[in-house]
Amino acid sequence: MSVLEVNTVDRLDRPSAYYAGKNKRRRDDREEREPEPNNKLQGATTLYVGNLYAPTIEWSFYTTEEQIHELFAKCGEIKRLVMGLDRFNKTPCGFCFVEYYTHQDALDCMKYVGGTKLDERIIRADLDPGFEEGRQYGRGKSGGQVRDEYREEYDPGRGGYGRAYDEQRQREEDEYGAGR
Amino acid sequence: MADYDRDRRHNNYRGGGGGRKRRYRDDDDYDRRPQRRRYEEPLFVQVRRQLLTIAESAARRVEDDIVGIAKSVADHYEDEELRDTLVNISLDLVLEQPMKIPFVAAVTLATHNLKPELSAEVLKKASNLLQKHIDSGSWREVKLLIRFLGSLQAIFEGDGIFPLLEEFFARAADLQSASSEDLLGLELVKVILFTIPYVMSSPATGFEAQASALLEKTDIIASTPHALVDLVNTFSPDENKEAAGPSVIGLMQSQLQAEAGQGWELKCLPRPWKSVQEESEEQKPFEVVTKIPFPQITVPSAVPNGPRPLFPEVYLSVYAEQEIYTVPPISDITSSIARDALVDTINLLDFNRVATAKYLIDIDCYFTPYTFVKRATPFDRMRDLAGEGQSWKPEDVAVDAVFSQLYQLPTPEHKLVYYHSVLTECCKIAPAAIAPSLGRAIRYLYNHLETMDLELSNRFLDWFAHHLSNFGFTWKWSEWVENLELPAIHPKMAFIHGALDKEIRLSFAQRIKGTLPEPYIPLITEGKEKDTPEFKYLSESKSIPRLASPSEEIRIRSQLTPATVTPYSKEGQELGQLIRKKASDDEIQPVIAAIEEQAQGLGVEDPKVPSTDAFVTAICFVGSKSLSHVLSCIERNKERLLSVGSASHQARGQIITSVMEYWADQPGIAINIIDKLLNYTILSPLSVLEWALNESIAAGTILSKPHIFEMISATVGKVTNRMRQIVAARTQSGLYEPQLSVLDETLSRERVEMQALFKFIEDAIVSVAAGSNDELMERGDGSGDLPEDAIIRQWGRRWLRVFRRKLGVEEAFINDALAGATPVGTEAPALTQGDDGDVQIGDADADADAIADGQ
Repeated sequence: MSVLEVNTVDRLDRPSAYYAGKNKRRRDDREEREPEPNNKLQGATTLYVGNLYAPTIEWSFYTTEEQIHELFAKCGEIKRLVMGLDRFNKTPCGFCFVEYYTHQDALDCMKYVGGTKLDERIIRADLDPGFEEGRQYGRGKSGGQVRDEYREEYDPGRGGYGRAYDEQRQREEDEYGAGR
Repeated sequence: MADYDRDRRHNNYRGGGGGRKRRYRDDDDYDRRPQRRRYEEPLFVQVRRQLLTIAESAARRVEDDIVGIAKSVADHYEDEELRDTLVNISLDLVLEQPMKIPFVAAVTLATHNLKPELSAEVLKKASNLLQKHIDSGSWREVKLLIRFLGSLQAIFEGDGIFPLLEEFFARAADLQSASSEDLLGLELVKVILFTIPYVMSSPATGFEAQASALLEKTDIIASTPHALVDLVNTFSPDENKEAAGPSVIGLMQSQLQAEAGQGWELKCLPRPWKSVQEESEEQKPFEVVTKIPFPQITVPSAVPNGPRPLFPEVYLSVYAEQEIYTVPPISDITSSIARDALVDTINLLDFNRVATAKYLIDIDCYFTPYTFVKRATPFDRMRDLAGEGQSWKPEDVAVDAVFSQLYQLPTPEHKLVYYHSVLTECCKIAPAAIAPSLGRAIRYLYNHLETMDLELSNRFLDWFAHHLSNFGFTWKWSEWVENLELPAIHPKMAFIHGALDKEIRLSFAQRIKGTLPEPYIPLITEGKEKDTPEFKYLSESKSIPRLASPSEEIRIRSQLTPATVTPYSKEGQELGQLIRKKASDDEIQPVIAAIEEQAQGLGVEDPKVPSTDAFVTAICFVGSKSLSHVLSCIERNKERLLSVGSASHQARGQIITSVMEYWADQPGIAINIIDKLLNYTILSPLSVLEWALNESIAAGTILSKPHIFEMISATVGKVTNRMRQIVAARTQSGLYEPQLSVLDETLSRERVEMQALFKFIEDAIVSVAAGSNDELMERGDGSGDLPEDAIIRQWGRRWLRVFRRKLGVEEAFINDALAGATPVGTEAPALTQGDDGDVQIGDADADADAIADGQ
């Protein structure tokens, strides 16, 4: 492990721009000071995991809890695993939350597992302030993740093209399946 | 316009942009934004980048960059930001990208000639850092800083770095003579040995005598094998003396002695300062430059152990046995020098595996040109090149270094998955170059499965399956087809079975089946393809639920009428329905009672066994949909499971049996459930060990199953982790009575329990290893000479080695930690001011309670 405070190459265990960006927009709108977004992530033990296989009408296949467990346990014991579900039919919709016992395990997961393949898809792992009831459901109009409604490119593992393609792209924000 | 505004805001907070400008070129005329000046990069940014990327590009002459950087900074000496950049980045690179040390040192040398004040600042920071790391016992950082200073030997007065190295040796000698078990002394010797080549390849001349004198001294320490070396060897010398590797420092010692005899050729180490000198003739040559004294460094008389636990290191090469050398042989010092620099790079950069992989692929940039053959040279081509000079295959050298860490015993610096991810990234960056190297590494490891340390063959298994999962599960299985004839307990068959099981865990059976050649297809049984295994109480099968003993089973089987072929099937189904509809325990109890009553009628020794079987099997069946499902079933019925476990020893074993049997085709799920049952304390660690190593040992054949090793390792790991937490609580600073005694008692109690656990493993396996296990002796004609008996005994020996080492490591950890702990009986100092002490005691109180409560 490096002893430097500022490293000579980028770190892979930094939270993505999602929180920072989201907070910025809010401040613009309401002139109201929110707590520094990264503070919420200090000591965070949960990861949002995205880009998993999700079932569709003609495709019943999805990445299972067991598969996720098998891969993510390589970074430490898993305390809780919450599958992201379609709001209406309660089927997996391509994301999940993985909670570890320690912050270090979560950081290691970003460094060593984020961006590698699970079930032959490159998965995304991002530090998350923690799972709350309700966040397991997709926020898209059709019940799944918002990003699945707007996807431009064809992804057979997640139901082909976006369900309701829309000009407004809010991809970064929509990555998260959570309503807050 | 809305679009325009948004774009602008976007640009503002990203602090840049300009994409918009290009799109609306005609906007320029009436754009009211102030015209941005053409962006000129400040000099310090430029120098920073040049320094950070030094030697990275094969397209540029690194010598030019070295002179360029030195000149830029010397010419603008008044620019403080620029000076700081040079000083800070130089040392950051030393501590984080060790392969660049010779180049950073060359920059410092060039700077010294141009502006000695500047190099003085670099040296000041280097010596401050060195002192800090010596004081904290961070020996790798010490090694790297001393390497940097050693590369600057030419600018120091007198003997330069040698007196410091001599002092290191004096400490090492003291430590070694105080205890033969000492490891810190070995670490200090390692620092010395890995400094010498950099001093001898630096522009300094005339230090051959000092180097040889130092080597003569280190010989006795470096060449005497430490008692623990065998324990951390990739191969136990008892199993495979030939493959067992030499110790890292012993090897380096002999290589340095050989170099001394050849005039310190050290041909792999770059001399980037050489051309610097030749190209810039207007500069004074190094010898004439005013020399400066070596910085003042104090080595404390009691050197600290440091943050990382120390163990001897062994040199492993997975390319050791090829018919042609693709990596430097151990007779060549290049093997040690490259390995050391690569290993440090890998372990320092764990926060960016992509960067790590890039530096590994670029290894040829950091050593003398022609040390390596061209990248991606095929193995067959190496055969043709073998005669002409000695050059190595860069991919093999890089991959070898990663494997040396993946197979580091007792544990590598980082989680194993980090090393997996580095290999994955290497494959992504240069698939055509790396994949064949990995293939040969896999073959070597596979061919040595029988004698390899068992812990390591399981790491191999885990890596192999994980790696393939990142690359479409493609592997040339056809080359192992003839091994399918081997007995099931043969280590190679165990590996094939284990690897396929792990692949399935990361994917699914049908997918994996599709990647296999025909002869392997029977290994993917029908059961593995089922998402929900059969619920035996539903089936018409003739299977008898597990009973206490084989003899009992025969007796009971004879009493069964055809109508009751699956005993308790009605009750089993009822339990399934009750659990599915989340029935209360009151509703479940009568069904359990009915089973026990029937069992009593059948003369079953412990009626709780069949009732537990039905109950746990029903939980597994209802919970088969997913891990969450089974966990919530367990959670809802936790009280009953807890009371079963504590009421009857046999019933507790039955919980494990039922889980393992229900998920027999998907053992990964089974051991995961066992793991959760341990967390709920429904099972105790000892009960899991008893189940595997006593009840189910099956003459020792169970030891060949990778998932059993995985389960036992995980179970033991839980116990040792908890032990470490208690040790951490006991050794925290600011702890006083009465908490000290509470924690100390807990620690002593749990330590005894931990030792008992290891004793159980030892006793259970030692008979297998010795061939005196009762069941083992009853096999065949009882001679113990069946071909498989030898294999079983070997499994026993390999298991023993792993758990004996584990106990040794844990005991050493506890002893080391307790050596520095506050002694029991220490009272809190009387508080004179502030309430800091209160807060600390409060914390310790909570800790003590939590530990005592078993949390």
